[in-house]
Order: sequence, then structure tokens, then C-alpha cells
Amino acid sequence: MRKVTSHLVAFLLTNLFTVTAFAQEISISGNVKNSNTNEATGAVSVSIKGTTEGTFTDDKGNFKLSVKSLPVTLLISSVGYELKEITVNNASQFSDVKLKPSSALGQEIVVSASRVPQKIMESPVSIERVSAAAIRTAPAASFYDVVTSLKGVDVTTSSLTFKTPTTRGFNSSGNTRFNQLVDGMDNMAPGLNFSVASIIGLSELDVDNMELLSGASSALYGPGGMNGTLLMTSKNPFKYQGFSFLVKVGMMHTDGRQRDLSAYNNWNVRWAKKISEKFAFKINMELISAKDWQGTDYRNYARAATNGAVKAGDRQSDPNYDGINVYGDETTAEIRSAVLNAIGASAAPFLKNFIDTLNGGRAINVSRTGYTEKEVTNPNTVNYKLAGSLHYKVTSNTEAVLAAYWGTGSTVYTGSERYSLKDFKMGQYKFELNNKNWSFRAYTTQENAGESYNTTVATRLFNETWKPSGGATGWFSQYAQTYLGARLNGLSDPDAHTAARATADVGRPLASSEQFKKAYDGIRKKPISQGGALLLDKSDLYSVEGNYNLTHITKAFADVIVGVNYKKYVLNSEGTLFADSAGTIGIGEFGAYLQASRKLMDRISITASGRYDKNQNFKGRFTPRATLLFKVKENNNIRLSYQTAYRFPSNQQQYINLGVGSVRLIGGNEGFATLFNFAGNPLYDFEDLRKGNFNKVNVQQLKPESLSSFEIGYKGLLMQSKMLVDLYGYFGQYQDFLGRRVTVQSNSGGPIALSDTSLGNRLSIPVNSTDKVKTYGFGLSFDYRLPRNFTIGANAASDILTDVPTNFVAYFNAPKYKVNASFGNSGFGKAKRLGFNINYRWTQGFLYQGDFATGNLPDVQTLDAQISLKLPSTKSILKLGANNLLNQYYYNAIGNSQIGGLYYLSFGYNIY
Amino acid sequence: MKYNINSIKISFLLAFSAMTILASCNKDLEQITSPAAPEATGSVLGDTLKASANDSLYYRLIIKSGLLPTINNKTTTFTMFVPDNNAMRIFINAASGGLVPLNAPDAVFSGFITANIPAATAAGIVSYNVCPQALTTASIPNSFPNFQYPSILNPAPALSALLRLTTFPTTRNGAWLNNVPITAVNLGAYNGVIHHTAFVVTPPQRYLWDRINSDAGLTYLKAAIIRADSGTAAPGFLQGALLNIGANLTVFAPTDAAFQATLTGAIYQALVAMGVPPATALAQATALASSPTVFSNPALYSVLTAQTVKGIVVYHLLGSRAFTNNFPTTTTSYRTLLNSAVPTHPGIDLTAVFGVPFVSSATVKGIANATAASVVINASPLTPDPSGTSDQHYLNGVLHKINQVLLPQ
Repeated sequence: MRKVTSHLVAFLLTNLFTVTAFAQEISISGNVKNSNTNEATGAVSVSIKGTTEGTFTDDKGNFKLSVKSLPVTLLISSVGYELKEITVNNASQFSDVKLKPSSALGQEIVVSASRVPQKIMESPVSIERVSAAAIRTAPAASFYDVVTSLKGVDVTTSSLTFKTPTTRGFNSSGNTRFNQLVDGMDNMAPGLNFSVASIIGLSELDVDNMELLSGASSALYGPGGMNGTLLMTSKNPFKYQGFSFLVKVGMMHTDGRQRDLSAYNNWNVRWAKKISEKFAFKINMELISAKDWQGTDYRNYARAATNGAVKAGDRQSDPNYDGINVYGDETTAEIRSAVLNAIGASAAPFLKNFIDTLNGGRAINVSRTGYTEKEVTNPNTVNYKLAGSLHYKVTSNTEAVLAAYWGTGSTVYTGSERYSLKDFKMGQYKFELNNKNWSFRAYTTQENAGESYNTTVATRLFNETWKPSGGATGWFSQYAQTYLGARLNGLSDPDAHTAARATADVGRPLASSEQFKKAYDGIRKKPISQGGALLLDKSDLYSVEGNYNLTHITKAFADVIVGVNYKKYVLNSEGTLFADSAGTIGIGEFGAYLQASRKLMDRISITASGRYDKNQNFKGRFTPRATLLFKVKENNNIRLSYQTAYRFPSNQQQYINLGVGSVRLIGGNEGFATLFNFAGNPLYDFEDLRKGNFNKVNVQQLKPESLSSFEIGYKGLLMQSKMLVDLYGYFGQYQDFLGRRVTVQSNSGGPIALSDTSLGNRLSIPVNSTDKVKTYGFGLSFDYRLPRNFTIGANAASDILTDVPTNFVAYFNAPKYKVNASFGNSGFGKAKRLGFNINYRWTQGFLYQGDFATGNLPDVQTLDAQISLKLPSTKSILKLGANNLLNQYYYNAIGNSQIGGLYYLSFGYNIY
Repeated sequence: MKYNINSIKISFLLAFSAMTILASCNKDLEQITSPAAPEATGSVLGDTLKASANDSLYYRLIIKSGLLPTINNKTTTFTMFVPDNNAMRIFINAASGGLVPLNAPDAVFSGFITANIPAATAAGIVSYNVCPQALTTASIPNSFPNFQYPSILNPAPALSALLRLTTFPTTRNGAWLNNVPITAVNLGAYNGVIHHTAFVVTPPQRYLWDRINSDAGLTYLKAAIIRADSGTAAPGFLQGALLNIGANLTVFAPTDAAFQATLTGAIYQALVAMGVPPATALAQATALASSPTVFSNPALYSVLTAQTVKGIVVYHLLGSRAFTNNFPTTTTSYRTLLNSAVPTHPGIDLTAVFGVPFVSSATVKGIANATAASVVINASPLTPDPSGTSDQHYLNGVLHKINQVLLPQ
């Protein structure tokens, strides 16, 4: 590996220093305006035809270009405008340029589908693109929300700022099957194992575009990306210059249902400057603050090892109530066996018969009194992003970039429990060289979980501090004795439970009390390894990668791209998340790919690619990909693809060692077999043991999971190019699907016994399913340009999981059908300065399966809308918008926050 | 242009209102509900009794006891064992020492209750006849040993809030509460159930040991127990068990005569075996066994060891409460406390013969006895402690006198 790297560096340096000296003599300057509105147009590409030289207009539409001689032909282009060619014979006589806005659909350029720029119409796989212009006019409070309205996308919302998108099923709050890349860097937090792009990544003003690849994409972007990849690209300061700001002020909780009316603030600042033709920089800052949405699902939940269910009852009617968003009540005991039987056996034998009759002789399960999420979670969600980059053109073809992206946030995330991510920090720092033919990137991701803690565990531990559960004077003993006494006094069972709880809860601090706050803070700030709830995650990722486009050498027979990458994870949680109390854990991953594409007979383009990846803990894996694009006629293409994807078990699936509730999550690394003495104290299937069956679990070595996927699609312009239609159908088969299985070990170390269902060590181990599950689905969309700038669009998608074995929990989590419809206008009224956009979304209800909670989600409808006014003189936009306009609260995962309406007014200055 | 703007407005409004209607409501998460329990009907217990002409005297006793609010509390559920007016007349006739004749008008009985029965006594009787929760006969087992069910009578609240005197309802050989027949069952009320009893069931007052210790006809048993306890650590004391409110025992108490006969026979045989002439042996044996001091006679320590005596005494004890009406009508073996030392011991055989409605005769047989011992049945039914000989009920058990010592081997 070291040898490969050194060769690569030498190669890059050779390219770097092959600098051609320019003799710049004649200067051409000008200004570009929108021919319709006469407003200055920034970020317009001005290049000299037949060369690689060029520049961009600044935020006032001005450009300046030096040429060696005249005449030259300038190509003036920008997305959303028609291309203009101007021949300049005399620099001093050059006049301003007016660009005509283009209404043509489907003309965007995408990069991610084939790793080379191509028209979106000609992408061989399904891809969606969100441009900066689309973000500007989207009815969304955050650019990240725009993804929600894309075809085939499902989003799981943990809280206001923590959102997890995916395509083609298998969504959850921390999705590991969907890659998110920010300026080419994997945005996954190395320790927590979920992408954090919604809180730590690009800030809204700096987003140039987002490209969404639905479906398997490992062959291009490496392990992960089983279900899709979202690539977010920021604005280059050479192209997008000037000072911009965007201030959004809004309100939430307008109906007081979760909390009092509260403010939403989102402030963005971007400053980019081209110091010279060679050097530019940018700085970005974004701050979001609000009172978060809350998990308010207080329904009673029957926790089981892998598949719990919502059940009847509440705190009043069910002594063993375990509210979904109520914490601390997970601590439960069967008071008959824990307390009452002992009373009947010795202290008060005359009560034995009576005790035996209580609750009809059945178990008397009782849970401790919990605290609601509202009571224990900090209501403030804050998100602060700071990013900057330096760009230096080493040659006209090579740009060096040094960039830093740093963010911190406090939000709520749902994993196997609800976690408060408090002062979570992550920085991504990269050095990049981009040449026309090659690129090199080295970056690191530095994660710091801050004061993040497990809310469930913290609250349970808190309960133990004010009154321990066990012992002769413990909470359960007090409860059981009072309950028995109340029953002896003739109280009904519910009344006796109420009386018992009242007695056992004597001294229970209110969540608003100083006593609560002090004790709770003590627990959440104490590391898990010391008996607290604090995660001490400071895991890092180091990555180096290079790509080379050999097409200029190989174009006679094919366009060829090759690439290599190396990743090193360094897990560091001081024993609070991983089994790393003895020191950090390093995981190395290497990959290389080759892609060749060729046009056949002018109508057919084929691409074949292959990728090889090796993780130090797993055998190497080859993933092929083949695509075919058939051009039916101009702007009408049929695409076919076969793709494979796979992912290595995540870092957590390999190394986690975390107690959650009554179960300990452990990794699949071989070391755990020794740590937990699998040989001497074997594991048994927990669910089977509960049914009385002794089913010994032979722990198999973990394998990466893989997916093979076929897709056929069509994209075309119809009806005089006024309608863009895109449709696809896919079929995929998952193999070695990674899931978890709850096992139990003997408590005593002796042979397993039925009593170990309650006493034994419950270990949740990662396993590969031997069953193959299949998915299939389709998506279709149309966008229609109506007269006078009106647009109407709709998309629908379906994802279906099939061949699911009985009792197999796949966590598919996708609605069978979902629909988006939009209607908007980018410029109407007298001066075409008014705009509006409405987006309606409907998702069908489905069974949501999660480690935290499982249950049926109802159909969800949301309506987002915005109306805006452009102020061309300052390039400003005033926007009044609403997410979930009708304030119809909805959940998209059981146990997650319930989302209501967010109403905002935004003012953006120098937005382009 | 005007048309254009209007059409824009109209299309905007149309689209907006269409989407608004579509997005009008999101359903809440599905709620799982369990079927509601059927609402109770009828009057509360006190009111039910008040309305019943045949319960007027007991209702008067309830008022006297001060427990009316307790049984009328709608949030609590009780089972009441209620002696009807006839039973109350018998009770008051006895309580008044015959001063209130059985054929006196009810007003006289009522007057006596109000004037002469202390509130504490009334409260003791009523609360002993009230059990928590609704206990219909369907939920009262007919098995042996008896179902021990707490009343709401706590004899020593200061000692423990959970302390209760217990009752022994059964459906074996008919329906009974302790040794009193239940005459009508399962009368419903809003907050419980009522069973009528043929006689007043009074709460026990003393411990088994109190009776054994003071009964002039059980002096040998007392001496045997003291001998059995000698050399034993405190926790194993039989006397302790007989004084422990947590214990639940049946004592088959051989009368002094029975002990004398058995001891005389045993000593005589031992002396003859030692070569003492039969006539001398008989005289010596009779003399030795003529007093309970036989158990504390050092000369006999080697014969009547503490362990031997304890073995015999515990063979007379059941670890449950058996009134004679709980005995089987066909001979059946029951384990005794001896089984805690000799787990495989077959125990004793019990049999009862029923008259109307009480047991007319009952027998107990030890496995080494040639014949079964008879329970000394009360001269008149339900004779209470201390004068009765059978079904003598105490805080921690029941005592029956028998006419033989039971021999375990």
C-alpha cells in the first residue's frame, strides 16, 4: 500500500509542476445580464472556444479574461440559460452580453452517475439532481429537505435537524446502507456510523448541487451505498463569488401541542472571493436554533428481543407500562417472584394463598415510573456549521483545494434507544487536486460525540439514584408491599397498583426540580464505562484516493477511468461504545476500480466497471457493474443496468460493546468470542428459550452483505420538449443480509436454564441471514412546463420487499407507494418577480421496524409551500414559506419526533 | 394581461385548495385498546344487607362495629360472611348467658347488640368475617389442606400492616367457613359478594400453646412438648411454633388418659424386657406414668429422649388447619410435621362421619397403632375455646382432643 501511495504522489507531482507559462497580453472584460429581467448574472462560465481557459462572472455579472491574441470566440453558458457564442475582434469594443433564459428541460449536467460529466438525459442509471436554483425556489426550510420530494426517496426524521434519507427501502434513523458524500468525502460519523450531512456538512448558501443515485452504487463509490448515494457539492469560489447572506426566521409549535410557540432561526453567511485568476477562497457559516420537535408517542410498548409491539394500556391501567417516548420505565420486575413469594414463604405465610390468587395467579409485572422525553431532553436544538476553503490554480488545468468543514450540533437521534446528541462535533478536512484528467484527494473525518448520551439509559440510572430498584427497602419492595397491603384492604387491582406506585414514588423528584437536574447531569456526564450514560466517541477516519481518466490515451477503443482509495478508521470510544477500553481500534480498507465505456453505432453507449475492495477484517470483494444506454431518438433514452453493491459490516457491527436496556449489543469481531467466552458459556437463541426450546447458536464469522440489482429505465422529453418523463423499474436480491439476533448466555456460567430468560446475559450479536430477500419497485415522474413560467410535476414510486422468511425482521421500512406533486412558478406578475411553489407529498402507511420500537405508521400527507419576491437590484429574495403548512403532525418512524408545521420568512441577499 | 393575472390567480387558488383538501388530515398513530371491564351493578354491601330483612341483626352489629363505611366503599371489594338473623339470635342468646331468650322479639336482640356488645367485639367479629376481594364459591377450592384466606382483621397493626387473621373457607363436604356451615352463597352486591353462615364465626383469641399450657386435661402433652424442646435451639422450639401467629397447625392432642395408658404400656414392656417380674413392672410402670413428670424423670431420659418425644409430638401435628368438617369421609393419609424429618413417612389416616350438619365422629390413626384414635367430639356443636374438645380454633391453628397417642412406628 505504501508503495502504491508513493507512486501516486510522484505521479501527481509530475503533473503539478508541468506548468505552462502564459503570456497574457489582451484583456477582455464584460458584464452578463439576464435578457428577461436585465439583472446581472453571476457564476456564468465564460470560456475561450477550443481551449481549457476561461473564467466566471462575479456576483455583479462582471468578468475579465486575458487572451494572447484576437480574434477569439467566447462560449458564454450557465445552467438555465441558452448557450451564447460571441466572436471578439476588438477587446475595447466588446459590449455587455445578454443571456436568454432557457426553458428546456433535462439539460442539466450530472457527474456522479458515471464519474464523468454527462447530460442527465444520458445517464445510464437513475439519477436525480437538485440545483442551487431549485433549492432557491423550493418550498423547504432547509436545503436538505428538498431531497424528500425527489422520486423514490424516504426520509426518517429523528428530530428537526436530524434527517436520514434513503431510496429503495431499508431506512432507519441511522442508515448504513445509503452513502452521503460531501464534496467527495464520506460524511458518515466513523464511530456512530451514520451520515450526519443534515447537521454537519454544507451550509445552504454553499450548495451548488445535490445528486441522488437511487439503488446500488458501490461499484462507483465503494462499500456501502447498497440503496443509494447522495452526493452534495459545494460552490467553487472561482465561480460563485461575493458576499451573500440568508436569514430565515420562523416559528414552530404554533398550536402549543408539544410546547409553547417558539422561534426558528436559520442564519447563513457566505463570502467567496477570487483574489486573482489563480487564487480564491470562501468562508461559510450557518446557525440553526430552535426548540425541537418531540417524541410524544406515549403508547404502551411490549418490548421483546427483536420484534416488540404497541399494546393496550397506559400508566394508569398497566402497572408494567412502558411508554415509547417515556424513559426509565424500561426497568421492570415481576413482583410476585421478586418480592411477594418471599413474603408468603417466610414473613407472612398466612398470606401465601392470598398472594397466589393475586392477578389470577399470573405474573405481576411492574415497571418503574418514567419520565417523558419532553422532561428529560434539552428542548433546544442548535446546529452551527463553519467551513472554508482555499483554491489555488496550479495550472489552468489543475486546481488545488484545501478545505475544512466543521460543525457542532445538539439534536436527538434514534438508534436502539433515543440518544441526545449534545455538543456533537465533527470536522472534515481535505486536500484535493483536480485536474481535467485526474484527481487526488486526502481527507480526514474527526468525530467527537461531545456530551452525547443515551437518554433511556440515563433516565433509568437516574431512577436508581433517587431510589434503588432492588433491596429490602428498594422501589420494587416498597411497591410490592404496598400493593399487597392495598389488596388486603379490599382495593381493586388497579387501585392497589396506583396506591403502590404512589408509595414507591414518594420522594421522586420532579423533572423540573434542581435535585433532578443535578443528579441527571451527573449521570449523563459520566462515561458509560463508569456506570453513566455518556458516550466518549472520538473516532476518526483517514482517507486517500485518486482517479485517473485515461480517455485521452484510450479513446480509440473506450473511455477508461481508473481509481484507488485507502481508508483507515481509528475507533476511539474509551470503552463507552466499542470494545476499545484497552486502546483504539484501527480498521483498514483498500479499494480500486476500473471503468470503461464506449459508444456503439451512435445510439448505444455501454459501460462496464469493476471494483475490488478489501477490509482488513474481511475477504476481498469484487463488484461488477454494467450499463447500457439506448438512444431511441434525441432526448429519449432507454437505460439498462446491472449493478452490484455490498457493504462490510459497519464499525459498530464489528466492534460495538454497548449495554442498552436489558440487552448488550456486541460486535461480530472474533475477539468477542473470547471476551464473552462463547466456548465455555455458549449462546442460545433468546426467543426460542422463551418458548422453552434450547437452540444453541453457533456464532459464524461475519461476511459483508451484498445486493445484485437490475434496472430498466426511460428518460425522455415529450410533447414538444415541454414534458420530461422519467421512469424506472428495478429488481434486487440481498444476500448475507446483516441483521442482529438476540442470544442469551447462562448467568452463572453453568448450563443454560429457562430462568436465564430473565437472569441470563442477553447478547445481541450481528449475523448474516442465510435467507435471501428480494426487493422490486418502480418510480415514475413527469415535469411539465406550462405557459408563463408555470411548472407542474408529479412523481410516484413503489418499493416492495418479498420472499421474507417468517419471523425475519428485515427493517425494510418503506411505504409501498408514495407520491409527490408540485406546482410552481419561477417568475410571474408584472416584472416576473413573484414566484411560488407548492409541494404535496403522500406516503402510504407501513409497518415500521426499528430496534427502538416497531409499529404501524399511518398514511402521511404533507403540504409545503412558499411564495417569494425577487428584488433584482440587490439580487435578493424575500420568501414566505411553510414546511407542513397545515400543521398536520406526523411521524415517519415509531418513537421519533412528531413533526408539525414550520413557518418562516427568509431574506436572502446576493443569492444566485 | 388582466386575463393572464386572473388565470394565474385562479390556477394558483385551484391548485392550492386541491392540495389543501388532499392534505387535510393525518391520522394519529393507531391506539390499541383493551375491552372495558363490565360495570358493576347493584347496591353496596352494607345497603344490600340493610335491605335484607333476614340480615337486620347482623346489620345492627355492623353499625355497632363502625365498619359500615368500610363495606360501603365503592372502591373496595369484599367478601362478607354474614350470619342470618337466626344465627345472630343463637349468638346473642349465648352472649347474654341466656338472658335474651331465643324467642325474644328482634327488637330485644337489636337492643342487646346496641347496648351490650362492645364496639371492639363487634368490630372483631365483623372484620373477621370480611375478606378482601370477591370470593365466590367457584374460587374456593375443595381440596385439602384448607384455603387460608386473610380477613381484614389485623390483630396487631403496630407489628405489621400486613398482619391478618385468616379464615378457612372450603367447599369440601359442603360449603364451610372454618367449622361453620355456609347456608347461602354468592349473593351479589356492587362491591362484593355475600355468603350466609348458619352461626356466627368468631375470631380466635388465643394461641394453641395457651390452650395446651392451661388445659388440665392436656398436662402430658404439655410436658411432652417441653421435653421435646429440651436441648433444641430456639428456632426449632415446638412451643415457639405453637405461640407463633405465622404458624398454621392442627394439633391432635392426646388426652392425659391416653398418654398415661400409652406410657404405662411402654414402660411396662421395657421393664419386663429388662427382667422385672410382670406384676412389679406393672406397678412401677403405672407409678412412673401416673404424672406428667414422667417426661422430666431423669431415670427415663434414656428411654424418653428429647428426640423420641419430639418425634411422637410432631406426629400429632399437621402443617395446615383441619377442622373436622375438612376430614375426608373415606380414610385418607396425610403427612404430619414428622415428614420434615422423615420425608417418606406415610403419615396418619383421617376419617370423618357426618351427621347433620356437623361431624358426628372422626378418627385419626397412627401407622403403629392397632386401632384408630377417636376425636373427642364436642358435647354440643361449636363449643368454643376453652371448653370444647374438637374444632378448637386458635390464632395459629386448630386443636382436637383424641383418645390415643399416635404411634409413628
